[in-house]
Amino acid sequence: MSARDRAPDLRWRALKRRTLTGLNPAFESLLAGLAGLLIGAIVMAIWKYNPWKAYAAMFSGAFGDTFGIASSLARATPLILTALTFSICVRAGMFNIGAEGQVYVGALAAACVGYFSLPPGLHLIVGLAFAVVAGGLWSLGPAILKVTRGVNEVISTIMFNWISHFLGFYLVANIMVDRIHSERTVSVPPSARFPLLVRGTDLSYALFAAIAFAVVIYFILWHTVTGYEVRAAGLNPTAARYGGINSRRTMLLAFILGGMGAGLAGASMVMGQPPTFAITSGMGEVVNLGFDGMAVAMVGRNHPIGILFAALFFGGLTAGARAMQMRAGVPLDMVLLVEGIIVVALAIPELARVFRILEHRMVRFLRRRSA
Amino acid sequence: MTGITQTANALPPEDYYLRAERVTKIYSDGTVALKSVDLEVRPREILGLLGENGAGKTTLTKILSGLLPPTKGRVISPRGPVKFASPREALQFGIGMVHQHFALVGTFNALENVALSHSRPFARLQLANTRKRVEELMQESGLDVPLDVPVEKLAVGEQQRVEILKVLSRDVDLLILDEPTSVLTPLEVDELFSLLRGLRDKGKAIILITHKLKEVGSVTDRIVILRRGESVGDVKTAQVTPGQLARLMVGETVEPVGRKAIELTEEELPRHEASRHMQHSEGAGILHVQALTVRADTREAAVKDLSFDVHGGEIFGIAGVEGNGQSELVEALTGLRKATQGVATINGTNVIGKDPREIYRLGVAHVPEDRWRLGLVLPFTLAENAILGVQRWEEFRGPLSFLRWRKINQHVRELMDRFGIQATGPSAPAKSLSGGNQQKLIVGRELAKDPAIVIASQPTRGLDIGAAQYIRNLLLEMRDNGRAILLVSADLDEVLALSDRIAIMYEGRFMAVAKPGDFDREKIGLLMGGVTAKEEA
Amino acid sequence: MSLSSIWGILLITLHAMVPITLTAVGEVFGETAGLFNIGLEGILLLSAFTGALAATAAGATVGLFVGMGTGALVGVLFSIINTYWKGNQMVTGIGINLFAMGFVGFGLTAMGPGFSAIPAARRLVAIPTSGGPFSPIIFVAIVFPFLAYFFLRRTRAGLILKAVGESPEAADVAGIRVNLVRLLATTFGGVLAGLAGAYMSVSWIGSVTKGMSAGRGFIALATVVFSGLNPLLALLGGLVFGFFDSLALWIQTLPGSKAVPWQFLAMSPYIVTLLVVAGVIGRVRFPKALGEPYKRE
Repeated sequence: MSARDRAPDLRWRALKRRTLTGLNPAFESLLAGLAGLLIGAIVMAIWKYNPWKAYAAMFSGAFGDTFGIASSLARATPLILTALTFSICVRAGMFNIGAEGQVYVGALAAACVGYFSLPPGLHLIVGLAFAVVAGGLWSLGPAILKVTRGVNEVISTIMFNWISHFLGFYLVANIMVDRIHSERTVSVPPSARFPLLVRGTDLSYALFAAIAFAVVIYFILWHTVTGYEVRAAGLNPTAARYGGINSRRTMLLAFILGGMGAGLAGASMVMGQPPTFAITSGMGEVVNLGFDGMAVAMVGRNHPIGILFAALFFGGLTAGARAMQMRAGVPLDMVLLVEGIIVVALAIPELARVFRILEHRMVRFLRRRSA
Repeated sequence: MTGITQTANALPPEDYYLRAERVTKIYSDGTVALKSVDLEVRPREILGLLGENGAGKTTLTKILSGLLPPTKGRVISPRGPVKFASPREALQFGIGMVHQHFALVGTFNALENVALSHSRPFARLQLANTRKRVEELMQESGLDVPLDVPVEKLAVGEQQRVEILKVLSRDVDLLILDEPTSVLTPLEVDELFSLLRGLRDKGKAIILITHKLKEVGSVTDRIVILRRGESVGDVKTAQVTPGQLARLMVGETVEPVGRKAIELTEEELPRHEASRHMQHSEGAGILHVQALTVRADTREAAVKDLSFDVHGGEIFGIAGVEGNGQSELVEALTGLRKATQGVATINGTNVIGKDPREIYRLGVAHVPEDRWRLGLVLPFTLAENAILGVQRWEEFRGPLSFLRWRKINQHVRELMDRFGIQATGPSAPAKSLSGGNQQKLIVGRELAKDPAIVIASQPTRGLDIGAAQYIRNLLLEMRDNGRAILLVSADLDEVLALSDRIAIMYEGRFMAVAKPGDFDREKIGLLMGGVTAKEEA
Repeated sequence: MSLSSIWGILLITLHAMVPITLTAVGEVFGETAGLFNIGLEGILLLSAFTGALAATAAGATVGLFVGMGTGALVGVLFSIINTYWKGNQMVTGIGINLFAMGFVGFGLTAMGPGFSAIPAARRLVAIPTSGGPFSPIIFVAIVFPFLAYFFLRRTRAGLILKAVGESPEAADVAGIRVNLVRLLATTFGGVLAGLAGAYMSVSWIGSVTKGMSAGRGFIALATVVFSGLNPLLALLGGLVFGFFDSLALWIQTLPGSKAVPWQFLAMSPYIVTLLVVAGVIGRVRFPKALGEPYKRE
């Protein structure tokens, strides 16, 4: 008779939501985060930096004052969106690496608002619409390839990323370039900018757009029939088929939704980033947002709420890194290092299994002692 | 790699090659697969291992060939106890197994597949030499197989021969074949059997796993019968009749299942409002199947020209060992597979080629045979699983396609109440439930569709007695309420106890259709093993 | 067009081909065995950095070996996580890339300004030609695909590798240690990628910068797809990408270069790969078990 049939055990189990590895998912992310910070500290120590000083500086820089918190939130804003891009597709059973490219395309589309004028507010909305549509369209390519020809979406999205990368370079340097300031595109006029949330920082109302998108995605995935079907097909396509669910349709939908989110992220970086409100050559504003978003998604366990927290954490890391560089002299790139370790740590279910075995042994040992 | 060698001539025929002593196997989920089984394997002998599904045949041979360790008991050879940690060690000892599902690399040709099992990594791949030796081997053994075609393009019979070739090329002393004839044409079966006889005469020991009485009679020297994990007979083939074998294989009835259903009124069953309007015609033909032919994945016909009807208020049970076309039949009726010929209608409307969802709308409920793969989305909660298939029905779907979770949860609680599903609540993940509770969830979900017909495939597999009884009573109850039930089960007792009419399925056809009382167990066993009335004599 | 100009282009092409081809051939081994290593980019960057470090301290040969060792280390880690520990290959690879970017950026700054250039005395001795220095590693990159082809198609080991990638169940039954084979294959792939990275800093460019790998790891992945797991075609792919690389550079130096924007040239390899993968050009067939961890039932 298996343990599951004993009623008291059921209650105990319900207290802790368990993942594949048997650990609470939030706990897993926490462990991974700590592992990242720990290894970062070791690397710093090897190079003769002071880890305590560095992390203290990072923390205070990220959350110590209003400016810090605002910076962290500003950094978090696009990450929320690109993380959702990745997560929506994970829920649908796919690996969409294409957020990078979809962000570029969204940013480019949003930057086009500089070429015509509309009353304030409307101008912003139109720009957002451009970006969202562009992102969605750019994701259509890999989606259709996957659904019709079974093309591996990892490879196709990487290719699309690079294509849009160079396309972006071209457009920024040649077509959309500002005649006067040739190092960037035409600025987004004030009528189309996100109003700033906190004066003197780069935190804008784009944050609310991002949070709103997260909320919308949550409702779609967990509270609508369509979202239910997407998740079912992602977890068990055969059973879903029996349930009358067309997994091709759900995959297409997931891709497009994700692309829209990434497009929005691109827009937020163009229409919400003082002082230039434009895309500079080299596209520095939007580069890496896709990849960072993936890390955020993994730490956030591919759930909108988790993603909000994870984005805040990663945003804090990035914002605090500046302070860390100034006060402890540790280079900015330490953040990427820590991110990388966290992601690798999350890739290892077996490692957590080791923890679970230890946990079980401890419990059994304690039970025996108390018996 | 040498050719087929003679095993030690000095061994007198009574001496054994391998002996399993009191072997017991209990899986990690508690299933008892083998109970203290003794088995002796002798050289120069073809031993038949006979039994139904779940009798333990495959488990026993897996233990013999090193794929699984026994929980208790041991395996010994004349040289002492043997314990294999991997198939490779068993191969080196001299035991080779030809699996039911071939272990071949599809894109390799036959030559490469054989070469693969002689792996000494950095040697140059001397395919020319390998070819010569393989050709020698084919000559000696009488096997014939095209060597340069990718194996996945070969006919199934040829693929099997490549498997056998692979094993032979390792110079094995014991050859185990698991249900080898289930994928062969009669001609190929004859060729296989003469091959086996030739090998036996050269001194090999051979174990043939099967459920087919005719075959076991024609090629084996000795037969061991397993039933529910125990060895119930060890006889010389020449000294036993098919009837006796059949009786040993299916045994006597175990626990009787009450035929009286639990008293229950219609209103107590939680059901979707939409479905109350469905009409149920008592006693009328609900499912009509005519000349149905369905192809399996291997492109052979799994269901051959089948015709039958199921009426409201009856349980039509299909008995038979798995792998005789039952799965393909159910898939064709529930929308997962297209039939190549024939007709199947529910209340007059065709179901062939339709989407599962459309078929549900016609009043079909399906309890699938593989609840994890087909019936549930395990990471989903109870509530999410409870609406699988009916997520678009109006009572669960609000404006803007929003799901009415309150209604859904209420419905789930009703299901939990009514069917006694043990769980912490509607938001418990389905994988935290025991097998019995999972099955109850599926059955409850299906019955809540208020179907005209329920297709139940292996509905009590893997469940403990209590849960199994419960499900069986539910089926009886549905029958008493006028539904039609198509029951497919490899558990003969279950089929006999529940059905009003039974059919025995063998190799895609019905051997017989009758009332349970019409046959005695021996007769049924014979039919399940493929022996028709005239061949009995 | 003058002779020296053609030779100049060819030279750049060959140089640019090396990291792509070496990495791609290495990944061919890994993918044949069933593991998809998206972290190649990270390996390139890491080994470029460690190779440069070692070369500055102890000479070019040491630098190259250290680079290979770095690649091996990451390869071993990647394979252990994704075979014995049943991890997720995509996630691991992405993590490696992030880590590499961070580590190298951090390390460069930590080493202090002026580190990035490797003193000429410590660089790999190159053969001077009329168009510029010619690195001996180029020979390696040209010869190796042929050796790899022979290995994969004509030895038992190659057969085993393919079996493990196509049908690990069959390989297991045949007595092959599936996880071990995958470990060896991917580690070897890491070694080659490590050599490629070290080559870039120690031999070709002579310095290390943060963005040095410039997506070459991903281009190598694309080349692997393009090659259909054939090392010879990987060499061809490397030459093609190398050619476009050099063309893009060369066009920028021409007067009136706006006529053909270099960005579109740079894009073309990816478009071609996309067409190949989509089945428009040629047939691409991946091993059936690629990307799936193997569990014995």
